Amino acid sequence: MARIIGGIGTSHVPTIGLAYDKGKQDDPAWSPLFKGYEPVARWLAEKRPDVLVFFYNDHLTSFFFDLYPTFALGASPEFEIADEGAGKRSLPRIKGHPRLAAHLVDSLVNDEFDLAVFQERALDHGVNSPLSLLWPHEPDWPGALVPIEINVLQYPLPTALRCYKLGQAVRRAVESYPEDLDVVIVGTGGLSHQIHGERTGFNNTEWDMRFLDLIERDPMELTRMKHADFVRLGGAESVEVIMWLAMRGALSDGIRKVHQNYYLATSTAMTVALYEEPAASASGFARAAE
Amino acid sequence: MNPQLQGIDQIAGTYPFDVARSVERIRINRFFWSMTRPEYRERFVRDEAALCKAEGLTGEETALVLGRDWLGLIRHGVNFFVLEKFARVLRLSNLDVYASMRGESLDDFLRTRRVPNAR
Repeated sequence: MARIIGGIGTSHVPTIGLAYDKGKQDDPAWSPLFKGYEPVARWLAEKRPDVLVFFYNDHLTSFFFDLYPTFALGASPEFEIADEGAGKRSLPRIKGHPRLAAHLVDSLVNDEFDLAVFQERALDHGVNSPLSLLWPHEPDWPGALVPIEINVLQYPLPTALRCYKLGQAVRRAVESYPEDLDVVIVGTGGLSHQIHGERTGFNNTEWDMRFLDLIERDPMELTRMKHADFVRLGGAESVEVIMWLAMRGALSDGIRKVHQNYYLATSTAMTVALYEEPAASASGFARAAE
Repeated sequence: MNPQLQGIDQIAGTYPFDVARSVERIRINRFFWSMTRPEYRERFVRDEAALCKAEGLTGEETALVLGRDWLGLIRHGVNFFVLEKFARVLRLSNLDVYASMRGESLDDFLRTRRVPNAR
């Protein structure tokens, strides 16, 4: 049976990918960011999950307003890196997992989450920016990824509670998959930032800290918030943290936060947090016994 | 009215992008979105005004494009995430765009940040 061994919450700022591509790992202005990802990358290298289920949003790259899905799951065997106006980042194509994807869709739709299914659409910085810091990729990525796109940019957005419930349904779907797979759930976006209008540059570290506490300890309180509350507290584009709620919904109440890094340099509070499931500690043992 | 957005009109300097806005402004949003394609970018660079005309942008919209009026474009109903493509074509960073929307020079904007040299 497939099982969820942990969850990761991470910002997906394009600047992270840009700084990575420019080799700024040792630049004092950037190293606190890169150092913050290293424990998560080490954990992934140690636990070797087969699949990352990645809640992300497309930034009007592979989807446009002619059809912008509220929820959409990518089922292809692989995904191109998107061209977002300056050519593609030089990263290998991202492997999908068509069998798990098909199962997730079967399970989710029967669980009343009628999401769209996409194939052969490129993944933009919503996925590839944090992924390049989480997984090594020379010559290729060490595992597969199932992307689940969430509309966080054209209102009406799915509610915070709906995203949490989607995560719960994803957990049921993963746990009913017959093949032995170790799965990590990733929720992307945030934390506080606003990048449009005269309010551009807004941040709120106090709120970010409260969010990080609640997402771990009391996510239900976050599910009661309205989008306007997220906008007021964290800035307009920070409403995308509802994707962290999708991740959290897929995790159990037995999680333990094993790492957190918060770095607000210019415009976005760049954050990564790692939550381990009790199942993860049995991971090495189970593999050794296989 | 979307109940999730109750009170959002009291948050100054913020322009929630909803379906009504999206329908009204799909043409100019598509114009910028198309900049994900290299051949379209080349057409833009070759003759900006001609492309604006060919795509049916109004005179007001063309002026916003040619004037690099980032805040004006947002207020007009362009979504930030297609403007991001436009910035790439112009070889501007997001920080340049943020500064412009705040009515500041890049250096002045960066002076308000915690790590001004993270650029």
